[in-house]
Amino acid sequence: MENHRESYLTHLTDEQFTDLLLGTSPAAVTAHLSACPQCAQEAQRVSGAIGSFAQQSRLWAERRAASLPVHSRDSQPVFPRLHIPRSPQAWTAAGLAVALALGIGISLRVDHARPVERQVAAKLQPAVAVSPTILKSDNALLTAIDGELRADESATSGMYGLSGSSRGVRSRSPKRISN
Amino acid sequence: MQLVLDPDMIACVPGETIPSELDDIDALDRVYRFRLLRFVAYSTGDQDLAETIVQDCLLKAYNSRDSFRGDCSVYTWLAHIATNLVRDSQRSRKFQFWRRVHKTAPDLNEVSSLLSSPQSSVESQMLARERAQQVSAALETLSVNQRTIFLMRFIEEMDIQEICQATGMQVSTVKTHLHRAVKAVRLKLGGGI
Repeated sequence: MENHRESYLTHLTDEQFTDLLLGTSPAAVTAHLSACPQCAQEAQRVSGAIGSFAQQSRLWAERRAASLPVHSRDSQPVFPRLHIPRSPQAWTAAGLAVALALGIGISLRVDHARPVERQVAAKLQPAVAVSPTILKSDNALLTAIDGELRADESATSGMYGLSGSSRGVRSRSPKRISN
Repeated sequence: MQLVLDPDMIACVPGETIPSELDDIDALDRVYRFRLLRFVAYSTGDQDLAETIVQDCLLKAYNSRDSFRGDCSVYTWLAHIATNLVRDSQRSRKFQFWRRVHKTAPDLNEVSSLLSSPQSSVESQMLARERAQQVSAALETLSVNQRTIFLMRFIEEMDIQEICQATGMQVSTVKTHLHRAVKAVRLKLGGGI
Protein backbone atom coordinates (compact mmCIF):
# COMPACT_ATOMS: atom_id res chain seq x y z
CA MET A 1 0.00 0.00 0.00
CA GLU A 2 2.87 2.30 0.89
CA ASN A 3 4.66 1.55 -2.41
CA HIS A 4 1.47 2.15 -4.31
CA ARG A 5 1.09 5.62 -2.74
CA GLU A 6 4.76 6.48 -3.38
CA SER A 7 4.44 5.75 -7.09
CA TYR A 8 1.89 8.57 -7.43
CA LEU A 9 4.16 11.04 -5.69
CA THR A 10 6.53 10.97 -8.66
CA HIS A 11 4.77 12.41 -11.69
CA LEU A 12 5.19 11.35 -15.26
CA THR A 13 8.41 12.36 -16.98
CA ASP A 14 8.52 14.29 -20.27
CA GLU A 15 9.26 11.09 -22.15
CA GLN A 16 6.30 9.36 -20.55
CA PHE A 17 4.07 12.27 -21.47
CA THR A 18 5.23 12.09 -25.05
CA ASP A 19 4.62 8.36 -25.14
CA LEU A 20 1.19 9.03 -23.70
CA LEU A 21 0.43 11.52 -26.46
CA LEU A 22 1.80 9.12 -29.04
CA GLY A 23 -0.39 6.36 -27.67
CA THR A 24 2.56 4.14 -26.95
CA SER A 25 2.57 4.41 -23.18
CA PRO A 26 2.82 1.25 -21.12
CA ALA A 27 0.05 0.12 -18.80
CA ALA A 28 1.83 1.55 -15.75
CA VAL A 29 1.51 5.07 -17.15
CA THR A 30 -2.18 4.61 -17.79
CA ALA A 31 -2.59 3.31 -14.26
CA HIS A 32 -0.73 6.32 -12.94
CA LEU A 33 -3.04 8.68 -14.81
CA SER A 34 -6.13 7.12 -13.31
CA ALA A 35 -4.72 7.72 -9.85
CA CYS A 36 -2.91 11.06 -10.28
CA PRO A 37 -5.29 13.95 -11.05
CA GLN A 38 -2.44 16.39 -11.75
CA CYS A 39 -0.89 14.26 -14.46
CA ALA A 40 -4.31 13.43 -15.87
CA GLN A 41 -5.17 17.13 -16.01
CA GLU A 42 -1.84 17.96 -17.66
CA ALA A 43 -2.28 15.22 -20.26
CA GLN A 44 -5.81 16.39 -20.99
CA ARG A 45 -4.70 20.01 -21.27
CA VAL A 46 -1.88 19.27 -23.73
CA SER A 47 -3.86 16.83 -25.86
CA GLY A 48 -6.83 19.24 -25.84
CA ALA A 49 -4.65 22.13 -27.00
CA ILE A 50 -3.12 20.07 -29.79
CA GLY A 51 -6.60 18.86 -30.77
CA SER A 52 -7.90 22.43 -30.91
CA PHE A 53 -4.94 23.46 -33.01
CA ALA A 54 -5.46 20.51 -35.36
CA GLN A 55 -9.14 21.35 -35.77
CA GLN A 56 -8.63 25.06 -36.36
CA SER A 57 -5.68 24.60 -38.69
CA ARG A 58 -7.70 22.07 -40.67
CA LEU A 59 -10.55 24.53 -41.07
CA TRP A 60 -8.10 27.24 -42.04
CA ALA A 61 -6.44 25.01 -44.66
CA GLU A 62 -9.76 23.80 -46.11
CA ARG A 63 -10.96 27.35 -46.42
CA ARG A 64 -7.71 28.56 -47.91
CA ALA A 65 -7.43 25.66 -50.36
CA ALA A 66 -11.02 26.21 -51.51
CA SER A 67 -10.24 29.80 -52.38
CA LEU A 68 -7.25 28.88 -54.52
CA PRO A 69 -7.54 28.09 -58.23
CA VAL A 70 -7.71 24.38 -58.92
CA HIS A 71 -5.09 22.72 -61.09
CA SER A 72 -6.09 21.97 -64.61
CA ARG A 73 -4.34 19.76 -67.07
CA ASP A 74 -4.32 22.49 -69.70
CA SER A 75 -2.75 25.07 -67.50
CA GLN A 76 0.08 22.95 -66.13
CA PRO A 77 2.37 22.04 -68.96
CA VAL A 78 2.93 25.61 -70.09
CA PHE A 79 6.52 25.57 -68.92
CA PRO A 80 7.40 22.12 -70.24
CA ARG A 81 5.69 22.79 -73.59
CA LEU A 82 7.57 26.02 -74.18
CA HIS A 83 10.80 24.54 -72.78
CA ILE A 84 11.29 27.59 -70.65
CA PRO A 85 14.01 27.00 -68.08
CA ARG A 86 12.68 27.04 -64.52
CA SER A 87 15.89 26.89 -62.55
CA PRO A 88 16.94 30.11 -60.76
CA GLN A 89 20.40 29.96 -62.37
CA ALA A 90 18.91 29.94 -65.86
CA TRP A 91 16.67 32.89 -65.07
CA THR A 92 19.59 34.78 -63.50
CA ALA A 93 21.71 34.16 -66.61
CA ALA A 94 18.88 35.28 -68.86
CA GLY A 95 18.37 38.41 -66.76
CA LEU A 96 22.08 39.24 -66.93
CA ALA A 97 22.09 38.75 -70.70
CA VAL A 98 19.12 41.09 -71.12
CA ALA A 99 20.69 43.67 -68.81
CA LEU A 100 23.98 43.44 -70.73
CA ALA A 101 22.22 43.82 -74.07
CA LEU A 102 20.28 46.79 -72.80
CA GLY A 103 23.45 48.35 -71.40
CA ILE A 104 25.33 47.93 -74.69
CA GLY A 105 22.36 49.23 -76.66
CA ILE A 106 22.04 52.32 -74.51
CA SER A 107 25.77 53.10 -74.66
CA LEU A 108 25.78 52.69 -78.48
CA ARG A 109 22.73 54.84 -78.73
CA VAL A 110 24.40 57.54 -76.63
CA ASP A 111 27.56 57.45 -78.79
CA HIS A 112 25.52 57.56 -81.97
CA ALA A 113 23.46 60.44 -80.76
CA ARG A 114 26.41 62.72 -79.95
CA PRO A 115 27.32 63.88 -83.54
CA VAL A 116 23.66 64.45 -84.34
CA GLU A 117 23.33 66.50 -81.22
CA ARG A 118 26.37 68.48 -82.18
CA GLN A 119 24.91 69.18 -85.66
CA VAL A 120 21.60 70.26 -84.22
CA ALA A 121 23.38 72.43 -81.71
CA ALA A 122 25.42 74.02 -84.47
CA LYS A 123 22.28 74.74 -86.46
CA LEU A 124 20.60 76.25 -83.50
CA GLN A 125 23.48 78.64 -82.81
CA PRO A 126 22.21 82.23 -82.55
CA ALA A 127 23.08 84.65 -85.40
CA VAL A 128 26.17 86.74 -84.85
CA ALA A 129 25.21 90.24 -83.84
CA VAL A 130 26.12 92.76 -86.60
CA SER A 131 27.09 96.25 -85.62
CA PRO A 132 25.04 99.23 -86.97
CA THR A 133 28.11 100.61 -88.78
CA ILE A 134 28.48 97.48 -90.88
CA LEU A 135 24.76 97.51 -91.61
CA LYS A 136 24.96 101.10 -92.76
CA SER A 137 27.90 100.41 -95.09
CA ASP A 138 26.13 97.31 -96.50
CA ASN A 139 23.00 99.35 -97.22
CA ALA A 140 25.10 102.03 -98.91
CA LEU A 141 26.76 99.39 -101.10
CA LEU A 142 23.41 97.92 -102.09
CA THR A 143 22.08 101.41 -103.01
CA ALA A 144 25.13 102.03 -105.16
CA ILE A 145 24.72 98.74 -107.00
CA ASP A 146 21.06 99.46 -107.55
CA GLY A 147 21.90 102.88 -109.00
CA GLU A 148 24.35 101.31 -111.47
CA LEU A 149 21.81 98.75 -112.57
CA ARG A 150 19.18 101.46 -113.25
CA ALA A 151 21.64 103.37 -115.32
CA ASP A 152 22.31 100.25 -117.44
CA GLU A 153 18.59 99.65 -117.84
CA SER A 154 17.84 103.17 -119.17
CA ALA A 155 20.75 102.92 -121.62
CA THR A 156 19.44 99.60 -122.97
CA SER A 157 15.86 100.94 -123.27
CA GLY A 158 17.05 103.96 -125.28
CA MET A 159 19.01 101.68 -127.62
CA TYR A 160 15.84 99.70 -128.52
CA GLY A 161 13.54 102.82 -128.73
CA LEU A 162 11.62 102.10 -125.63
CA SER A 163 10.09 104.93 -123.66
CA GLY A 164 11.73 105.91 -120.48
CA SER A 165 8.47 105.65 -118.63
CA SER A 166 9.67 102.25 -117.67
CA ARG A 167 6.42 100.44 -118.23
CA GLY A 168 6.36 97.14 -116.78
CA VAL A 169 9.81 97.65 -115.46
CA ARG A 170 10.10 96.55 -111.97
CA SER A 171 11.31 98.94 -109.47
CA ARG A 172 14.54 97.73 -108.05
CA SER A 173 14.60 99.59 -104.88
CA PRO A 174 17.21 98.06 -102.67
CA LYS A 175 15.94 96.10 -99.77
CA ARG A 176 17.28 97.51 -96.69
CA ILE A 177 18.98 95.19 -94.44
CA SER A 178 17.90 95.33 -90.92
CA ASN A 179 19.25 93.63 -87.97
CA MET B 1 2.58 -29.96 -49.35
CA GLN B 2 0.50 -27.20 -50.85
CA LEU B 3 2.02 -24.18 -52.51
CA VAL B 4 0.26 -20.95 -51.62
CA LEU B 5 0.75 -18.03 -53.95
CA ASP B 6 0.41 -14.45 -52.90
CA PRO B 7 -2.54 -12.98 -54.90
CA ASP B 8 -0.66 -9.70 -55.25
CA MET B 9 2.17 -11.48 -57.04
CA ILE B 10 -0.21 -13.07 -59.49
CA ALA B 11 -1.96 -9.82 -60.26
CA CYS B 12 1.23 -7.84 -60.76
CA VAL B 13 2.50 -8.16 -64.31
CA PRO B 14 5.97 -6.71 -64.89
CA GLY B 15 5.91 -3.55 -66.99
CA GLU B 16 2.23 -3.00 -66.48
CA THR B 17 1.37 0.31 -64.87
CA ILE B 18 -1.14 0.14 -62.08
CA PRO B 19 -3.67 2.96 -62.31
CA SER B 20 -3.59 5.02 -59.17
CA GLU B 21 -5.05 8.23 -57.85
CA LEU B 22 -1.84 9.92 -58.96
CA ASP B 23 -3.05 9.70 -62.55
CA ASP B 24 -5.88 12.09 -61.83
CA ILE B 25 -4.38 15.41 -60.87
CA ASP B 26 -7.77 16.94 -60.13
CA ALA B 27 -8.53 14.23 -57.60
CA LEU B 28 -5.03 14.57 -56.21
CA ASP B 29 -5.56 18.27 -55.79
CA ARG B 30 -9.01 17.84 -54.28
CA VAL B 31 -7.97 15.23 -51.74
CA TYR B 32 -4.53 16.35 -50.66
CA ARG B 33 -4.20 20.06 -51.28
CA PHE B 34 -5.62 21.26 -47.97
CA ARG B 35 -3.65 18.72 -45.98
CA LEU B 36 -0.43 19.69 -47.71
CA LEU B 37 -1.28 23.35 -47.37
CA ARG B 38 -1.78 23.00 -43.63
CA PHE B 39 1.41 21.01 -43.19
CA VAL B 40 3.57 23.32 -45.31
CA ALA B 41 2.01 26.54 -43.99
CA TYR B 42 2.82 25.61 -40.40
CA SER B 43 6.21 24.19 -41.37
CA THR B 44 7.30 27.41 -43.04
CA GLY B 45 5.14 29.84 -41.07
CA ASP B 46 4.29 31.56 -44.33
CA GLN B 47 1.02 30.87 -46.09
CA ASP B 48 1.96 32.54 -49.37
CA LEU B 49 5.12 30.49 -49.65
CA ALA B 50 3.11 27.41 -48.63
CA GLU B 51 0.75 27.87 -51.55
CA THR B 52 3.67 28.00 -53.96
CA ILE B 53 5.28 24.93 -52.44
CA VAL B 54 2.02 22.96 -52.48
CA GLN B 55 1.50 23.87 -56.11
CA ASP B 56 5.03 22.72 -56.94
CA CYS B 57 4.59 19.59 -54.86
CA LEU B 58 1.41 18.50 -56.63
CA LEU B 59 2.94 19.21 -60.03
CA LYS B 60 6.09 17.35 -59.16
CA ALA B 61 4.11 14.39 -57.87
CA TYR B 62 1.97 14.29 -60.98
CA ASN B 63 4.92 14.60 -63.35
CA SER B 64 6.94 11.92 -61.58
CA ARG B 65 4.05 9.63 -60.73
CA ASP B 66 5.73 6.78 -62.59
CA SER B 67 8.45 6.73 -59.96
CA PHE B 68 5.94 6.12 -57.15
CA ARG B 69 6.52 2.52 -56.16
CA GLY B 70 3.55 2.22 -53.85
CA ASP B 71 5.55 1.13 -50.83
CA CYS B 72 3.99 3.90 -48.78
CA SER B 73 0.73 5.84 -48.89
CA VAL B 74 0.27 8.60 -51.44
CA TYR B 75 0.12 11.21 -48.70
CA THR B 76 3.42 9.99 -47.21
CA TRP B 77 5.00 10.30 -50.64
CA LEU B 78 3.55 13.79 -51.09
CA ALA B 79 4.74 14.77 -47.62
CA HIS B 80 8.22 13.56 -48.57
CA ILE B 81 8.21 15.78 -51.68
CA ALA B 82 6.80 18.71 -49.71
CA THR B 83 9.42 18.30 -46.97
CA ASN B 84 12.21 18.43 -49.55
CA LEU B 85 10.69 21.49 -51.17
CA VAL B 86 10.39 23.21 -47.78
CA ARG B 87 14.03 22.40 -47.03
CA ASP B 88 15.12 23.72 -50.42
CA SER B 89 13.19 26.93 -49.99
CA GLN B 90 14.50 27.50 -46.49
CA ARG B 91 18.07 27.02 -47.64
CA SER B 92 17.75 29.65 -50.34
CA ARG B 93 18.84 33.18 -49.57
CA LYS B 94 15.78 34.48 -51.36
CA PHE B 95 13.56 32.79 -48.76
CA GLN B 96 15.56 34.18 -45.88
CA PHE B 97 15.36 37.68 -47.34
CA TRP B 98 11.63 37.60 -47.99
CA ARG B 99 11.00 35.99 -44.62
CA ARG B 100 12.52 39.03 -42.99
CA VAL B 101 10.70 41.46 -45.25
CA HIS B 102 7.26 39.95 -45.51
CA LYS B 103 5.86 37.03 -43.66
CA THR B 104 2.23 36.02 -43.79
CA ALA B 105 1.75 33.46 -41.07
CA PRO B 106 -1.47 31.45 -41.09
CA ASP B 107 -4.04 33.24 -38.99
CA LEU B 108 -6.28 30.96 -36.98
CA ASN B 109 -8.52 33.89 -36.08
CA GLU B 110 -9.81 33.71 -39.65
CA VAL B 111 -11.67 30.53 -38.79
CA SER B 112 -12.66 31.27 -35.22
CA SER B 113 -16.20 32.12 -36.30
CA LEU B 114 -16.52 28.78 -38.06
CA LEU B 115 -15.86 26.91 -34.86
CA SER B 116 -18.93 28.18 -33.06
CA SER B 117 -21.42 25.44 -32.47
CA PRO B 118 -24.51 25.30 -30.30
CA GLN B 119 -22.97 22.56 -28.18
CA SER B 120 -19.96 24.59 -27.05
CA SER B 121 -20.20 27.69 -24.95
CA VAL B 122 -18.55 30.97 -25.87
CA GLU B 123 -16.12 30.49 -23.03
CA SER B 124 -15.01 27.06 -24.19
CA GLN B 125 -14.67 28.32 -27.75
CA MET B 126 -12.45 31.15 -26.59
CA LEU B 127 -10.40 28.74 -24.51
CA ALA B 128 -9.97 26.38 -27.47
CA ARG B 129 -8.93 29.27 -29.68
CA GLU B 130 -6.45 30.50 -27.13
CA ARG B 131 -4.94 27.03 -26.75
CA ALA B 132 -4.65 26.64 -30.51
CA GLN B 133 -2.89 30.01 -30.71
CA GLN B 134 -0.50 28.89 -27.98
CA VAL B 135 0.36 25.73 -29.89
CA SER B 136 0.83 27.79 -33.04
CA ALA B 137 3.16 30.15 -31.18
CA ALA B 138 5.04 27.21 -29.67
CA LEU B 139 5.61 25.74 -33.13
CA GLU B 140 7.47 28.88 -34.16
CA THR B 141 10.01 28.31 -31.42
CA LEU B 142 10.82 24.77 -32.60
CA SER B 143 13.58 23.82 -34.98
CA VAL B 144 12.56 22.98 -38.54
CA ASN B 145 12.92 19.23 -37.96
CA GLN B 146 11.06 19.30 -34.66
CA ARG B 147 8.24 21.32 -36.17
CA THR B 148 7.98 19.12 -39.24
CA ILE B 149 7.85 15.94 -37.21
CA PHE B 150 5.44 17.36 -34.65
CA LEU B 151 3.08 18.43 -37.43
CA MET B 152 3.34 15.09 -39.17
CA ARG B 153 2.56 13.16 -36.01
CA PHE B 154 -0.04 15.23 -34.22
CA ILE B 155 -1.67 17.23 -37.01
CA GLU B 156 -1.36 14.94 -40.01
CA GLU B 157 -1.68 11.88 -37.76
CA MET B 158 1.08 9.96 -39.50
CA ASP B 159 2.64 7.11 -37.57
CA ILE B 160 6.34 6.96 -36.76
CA GLN B 161 7.11 4.66 -39.68
CA GLU B 162 5.42 7.00 -42.15
CA ILE B 163 7.32 9.96 -40.69
CA CYS B 164 10.56 8.03 -41.16
CA GLN B 165 9.65 7.39 -44.80
CA ALA B 166 8.66 11.00 -45.41
CA THR B 167 11.68 12.58 -43.74
CA GLY B 168 14.29 9.91 -44.39
CA MET B 169 15.21 9.85 -40.69
CA GLN B 170 15.79 6.95 -38.35
CA VAL B 171 13.10 5.98 -35.84
CA SER B 172 15.27 7.06 -32.91
CA THR B 173 15.90 10.47 -34.49
CA VAL B 174 12.21 10.98 -35.12
CA LYS B 175 11.36 10.04 -31.53
CA THR B 176 14.02 12.37 -30.14
CA HIS B 177 12.66 15.28 -32.19
CA LEU B 178 9.15 14.43 -31.05
CA HIS B 179 10.12 14.34 -27.37
CA ARG B 180 11.81 17.72 -27.63
CA ALA B 181 8.94 19.22 -29.57
CA VAL B 182 6.32 17.99 -27.09
CA LYS B 183 8.38 19.30 -24.19
CA ALA B 184 8.67 22.73 -25.80
CA VAL B 185 4.96 22.85 -26.57
CA ARG B 186 4.08 21.84 -23.02
CA LEU B 187 6.31 24.57 -21.66
CA LYS B 188 4.70 27.12 -23.96
CA LEU B 189 1.28 25.99 -22.79
CA GLY B 190 2.38 26.72 -19.24
CA GLY B 191 2.73 23.07 -18.43
CA GLY B 192 5.02 21.27 -16.10
CA ILE B 193 4.17 19.49 -12.92
